[in-house]
Amino acid sequence: MHGDLGNKLVQQAKRTQNLAHLPPYQTELVRAVTREVRDLDKDVAALLEPFQGSFHPTDDQAVACTLLVNHLSMRRNKRCLLAYHHTRTDKLEKLVWKGYDVVDLAGQQVGDGSVNAGGASNVANGDGSMNNLSPQEEDYVRQYSDLLAAYKGQWTDIDLTGSLEPPRDLFIDVRVLKDAGEIQTEYGQFYVRQGDVERLIAQGYLQKLS
Amino acid sequence: MDIDDILREVDPASQSIPAETRDLQALTRAWVAERSSPELLRWPADGLFERVNDRIKQQIERVEEMTGDMDPKTNFALIVIQTELERFKYLVRSYLRARIAKIDQHTLHYLSSPDMRARLSETEQAYATRHQALLHNHYLSSFLSAFPPALQNLNDSAGNISMIDTPDTDTAVFIRLLKDSLVEGRGTDGDGIMDGKNGDIIILRWSDAKPLVDSGRAEVI
Repeated sequence: MHGDLGNKLVQQAKRTQNLAHLPPYQTELVRAVTREVRDLDKDVAALLEPFQGSFHPTDDQAVACTLLVNHLSMRRNKRCLLAYHHTRTDKLEKLVWKGYDVVDLAGQQVGDGSVNAGGASNVANGDGSMNNLSPQEEDYVRQYSDLLAAYKGQWTDIDLTGSLEPPRDLFIDVRVLKDAGEIQTEYGQFYVRQGDVERLIAQGYLQKLS
Repeated sequence: MDIDDILREVDPASQSIPAETRDLQALTRAWVAERSSPELLRWPADGLFERVNDRIKQQIERVEEMTGDMDPKTNFALIVIQTELERFKYLVRSYLRARIAKIDQHTLHYLSSPDMRARLSETEQAYATRHQALLHNHYLSSFLSAFPPALQNLNDSAGNISMIDTPDTDTAVFIRLLKDSLVEGRGTDGDGIMDGKNGDIIILRWSDAKPLVDSGRAEVI
């Protein structure tokens, strides 16, 4: 039945929206839906062939109806594919904004230069989302990271990926959750300037105490 | 006294306040408006962000100079300056992020006409164009290139349904009138007209509020 496969993709996308991690890319399903579109297109061409470009819908309503259904099915499949891929890129973009190293960029850490985290972090690896990407998605993440870095570069003093919570206190107490190597800030060790350690909190090394 | 009171007390056109303070007010207004309106608003053309950026730079330098000083008095001033600096940075960051979020959501819509493009800053235009190109490439390499050529576009409008998603301009917004003016609002069952007074707070559709906001007779809150 036309559209069944597309429906599965949409269900996958819907499921992805509510998950914390990114489920594996459905290579087979994507290929099958794409194949369906190509087959439908061939059917349309075959149906139209005997008419030599002079087809009038009113003359043969059965053929006209088949053509319409095929057309709509193709467009629907396209939308399903777009929705599926867009849901995933959306999620990937969010991870990039949060500063996670989605694809292991060989030590090229997306981070705040003022804090030396001591070794590249790879939070996204923890839930295995890296292996769940398609090669195209890996490319996309890499390119999007570059794009974001370029845009951020226009606003170096603001730290665009910083916290979106309104700042309250200049200094905060933190608890260390994981070894992060040596960290140098201007003031003390556990009572630190919030702007200096935001990245470490986001990456799970430190916990903010209120 | 909160930020709204401060905003209401000062007329945006007033010249008696120092330029720095006026810029902060303009920034706060832009931030509030951008966050509450469903559509991307025009990027301030008067160089507001260049000025704000320069001042943030100056203050960062100042903080660095003062840090070496051990005098307790300087230390206190330092904390005040740094706190204010963090707030400034937050305003700019939050404003830019609100815009990027809108641009990302409806990229093709904002890139589709010169009129729309004019709302974006140059950097935002570059970002949006590149982002859209990346996405299209990603779709192409993932599945779209295997499609029949006629179906490879991302801006079809076959069957009267455009593929380009647009912001919902009928979303409700709150506005505050800055001048007495006639407010017209369209409703589902009937339209309404009211005589608005300066300071009135009204909830209505963004499509109805937009002319008032654009002409400076009201502001989004």
